[in-house]
Amino acid sequence: MNPRIRTSALALLAGGALALTGCSAGGAADDGTTEITFVGADPAEAFEPLIAAFEARHPDISVEYQNIPFDQYNNVIQQRVGAKDPSIDVLLVDAGASASMASRGWLADLSKLRDQAEESSIAASVEQSVWDDELWALPFWTSAQYLYYNADLLEAAGVEPPTADGERWTWEQVVDAGKQAQAAGAEYGLLFDQTDRYYQLQPLAESAGGGSGATGPDLLTADITNEGWQRSMDWYASLFADGVAPRGVATDQMNVLFASGKSAFFVGGPWSVDPISKGEPPISYGVAKNPMFEGGTPAMSTGSWSIGVSAATDELEAATAFAEFASLDPEGNAAAVEQIIIPPTNLSAFDAYIERLDKTDEPNTAGMGQLTLSELQDAAVSRPNTVGFTQMQDVMGRAFADIRNGQPVGETLQKAQDELQGLWDRL
Amino acid sequence: MLFLLPALVLLIALRIVPMLGAAVDSLKQGSASADGGEFVGFENFAYLFADPGFQSVLAVTGLFLLIIVPGQLVVSLVLALLLVERVPGLGLVRVLVFIPVAAPAAVATVVWGIAYQPKGPINATLTALGLPPQPFLTSTDQALLSIIVLMSWIGVGYWTLFLIAGLQDIPRELYEAAAIDGAGWWRAFWSITLPNLRRTLAFVVVANTVSSVLAFVPVQILTQGGPAGSTRLIMYDLYNNTFQLGDVNLGQTEVVVLLVFLIAVTAVQFRMLNREEH
Amino acid sequence: MTALPDAIGTTRTRRVIVGIVAWCAGFAFALPLLWMLVGSFRTGQETFSSMFPLSWRMFVPQDPTLDNYATLLGGEFGLSVANSVFVTAVTILVGLAICAMSAFALSVLRFRGAAFVFALVVLSFLIPFDAIAVPLSNLFREWGLANTYVGLILPGLANGFAIFVLRQFFMAIPFELAEAARIDGVSWWGVFWRIYLPLSKPALIGAGFTLFLFQWGAYLWPLLIGTEPSKVLGPIALANLSGQFEVDFGAIFAGSVLLTAVPMVLLLFFQRYFTASLSATGSKG
Repeated sequence: MNPRIRTSALALLAGGALALTGCSAGGAADDGTTEITFVGADPAEAFEPLIAAFEARHPDISVEYQNIPFDQYNNVIQQRVGAKDPSIDVLLVDAGASASMASRGWLADLSKLRDQAEESSIAASVEQSVWDDELWALPFWTSAQYLYYNADLLEAAGVEPPTADGERWTWEQVVDAGKQAQAAGAEYGLLFDQTDRYYQLQPLAESAGGGSGATGPDLLTADITNEGWQRSMDWYASLFADGVAPRGVATDQMNVLFASGKSAFFVGGPWSVDPISKGEPPISYGVAKNPMFEGGTPAMSTGSWSIGVSAATDELEAATAFAEFASLDPEGNAAAVEQIIIPPTNLSAFDAYIERLDKTDEPNTAGMGQLTLSELQDAAVSRPNTVGFTQMQDVMGRAFADIRNGQPVGETLQKAQDELQGLWDRL
Repeated sequence: MLFLLPALVLLIALRIVPMLGAAVDSLKQGSASADGGEFVGFENFAYLFADPGFQSVLAVTGLFLLIIVPGQLVVSLVLALLLVERVPGLGLVRVLVFIPVAAPAAVATVVWGIAYQPKGPINATLTALGLPPQPFLTSTDQALLSIIVLMSWIGVGYWTLFLIAGLQDIPRELYEAAAIDGAGWWRAFWSITLPNLRRTLAFVVVANTVSSVLAFVPVQILTQGGPAGSTRLIMYDLYNNTFQLGDVNLGQTEVVVLLVFLIAVTAVQFRMLNREEH
Repeated sequence: MTALPDAIGTTRTRRVIVGIVAWCAGFAFALPLLWMLVGSFRTGQETFSSMFPLSWRMFVPQDPTLDNYATLLGGEFGLSVANSVFVTAVTILVGLAICAMSAFALSVLRFRGAAFVFALVVLSFLIPFDAIAVPLSNLFREWGLANTYVGLILPGLANGFAIFVLRQFFMAIPFELAEAARIDGVSWWGVFWRIYLPLSKPALIGAGFTLFLFQWGAYLWPLLIGTEPSKVLGPIALANLSGQFEVDFGAIFAGSVLLTAVPMVLLLFFQRYFTASLSATGSKG
């Protein structure tokens, strides 16, 4: 025992000494290269091209990527960055989360790159990281949603499918068609990719006129019991009550269900093409515009990860260089989407992405590029940039799950609103 | 004293210091912010106990204990009584009952989580028997019970072993005397087995209460406290407050509440463990 | 042998019924494990399709494959199992030494306040670790122990239950042995090492098992302190398998089998000692 404690104490001392010398030497390792750590919520392969391209450009900096599973991401960031852990230098920041992270002092101020970012990137993707008039993260990815349909199931039911460039369907229409497909043998009518996440369901309320749920000057007044929220959530609850969608199936299995030909419709992002195209046997599908409520407005989830620099980093310069390369450099931002199907935010990288999108899984994905452009223009709604976004995501996620599982809608929304307001009032 | 040193060092570093830390944080607000927060007295406790959310957490945790502790006790006792009988292949049967103890809680949770799916094997069996399929984890009435079943799958075997050991320690002479009196099984059970098993039973109740109040893994992996808060046990609530919502002080206040409860129960347990010496 | 009134199986029929009920119970407990084992040998899609409706295929793989194990062991999961094995092994070795030493001090060495120290030590370590895991994890991060093996191992080292079991056992060893050795000039350390430890194998195995089950199954603590991918332990890696965008039931089942197999083998091997140490506390307590 005693030798053990001694060893670990020595190790601690040595670690401390290393950290000290590390500071004074500007973080140079033995061979003169600077090491930075970058964390995100996708498998490492997704970032390999980006890191390789960056290291080729900056041979004196090496980047190590760490994957934190999405469900744990907030917790882990809270624990590590929140505790000023210098072992994370660069991190991906979810849309909507930048204000709450910045207000807790976790992110380094990147305002000096703001002009450059506004010039080279999609405007909305810069806007989502602005809080208190400063820029806290650089745009990285954005996202769009699509209404996927199973062509064979719709044909069997005698339903003419929607098209990528045609009329926008209403949710009521989608459910009717889904039910017809179910009557003709489909197991389910309509699935959502991310069942209980605010990202996926915010557009429902927006389309019905309910707004984002956060109002007031600081976006810290909860408003989720209005007519629009009530209407959209009643509709959402009915999907599960009527068996159009299944209860008790986890979010990560939804695309598998659609890929295996069990559902007529599926609402998901561009990344869904990958699992869907791997169905066994392959299904014949297509993409169409995001539905809206009858008499409502078009609304589509958008936004995705931004890239930020941890306030606790010892390698501010190298970390900022990496974030800058990944966001503002056309080559870097393009490399960031080489292994994953998601739109980049850099304008020139974005154009190249749109061009290749139609060919991702031909002929099923024909027209997807143009559709993405028009939907980003006509329908995109961003997540509210409030310091209370973390709380909102948590409370709303639980409310959505309860509604899906058949709790009374009005009561659940009221309870969620009270709870959220209580949490926001403590901020 | 050198022999005790390592244990004492660990005792201070791993128990005393964090407990004091929790106590201090429970009296402050804004510990996570840059300035370190300020003392607010018992405000956190007042907020917590007035909060309908926390009241419901306490109610759910209480209900959970009231079902799982007696439930596991009865099932374990029945099993223990069966497994001291002369059964062919007794050793193997005991092993089968005991073997789930080896499964880490995360394993049991993940496997049962799949079994509870709407189109999972349990509903397949129900359907084959002509019964309606059940919603399990998605229903406010069944979610807590579903978690209790999966935790009991691990727990019951463990407690059964204690009870078997207890049964085997009851002196045979007592039963021989009862046989001379012409007592049947039920009378022997009430007048000999139960009274002599009293201490073991009490031990199982206390130890089970302590381990059950800390149930966390199934909630975190399967239900996140839902549906409608019906499985929001205290450990999950404090974890969620601390890490998901970032309110360290509220989380630590809950730790203090939990500790007070545990220290009381553990003191009882210690007295029971220690009684034989005095 | 005449049946005493504590026996249920008094007649032949009753014995048969007791036997059947006992076997059914045993089978029911083993069933989920069996299903898990079978599932680990088939593709995720087959697990999915064989679950519903009920058929004999649920327990017989159509097309057995070892792919799941190959995938798992090649990836991050393999590393996490190796981490778990390492962390648990160190915990048992060091933890047993610490627990046995303090149990020895508290049973053999007579010093003033021994009863108080005993109460303090056992009581503190009986308070379940998980209750203070959250505040402790904040301290560990300040002490620079986050994402280190030391940080993962430390909390599993001292266990009130293990100390208690060992002390009970040491108390049963005649004190005259120690006295005689002391007169012969053997140090207390020698008495501990050469007399008490060799005589206490069953208790050591039982206590070791308690330490093992605690550390191997730990979930909350590694979730708090081992978040760096290179330090992730098995149970967390298993939970993460189902947290990604896609889920592979085959891999989950194979991971579950790997994480259960190690303790299961040890349990079968050492079950006798473990039971003996339980009965030392449970029945007389």
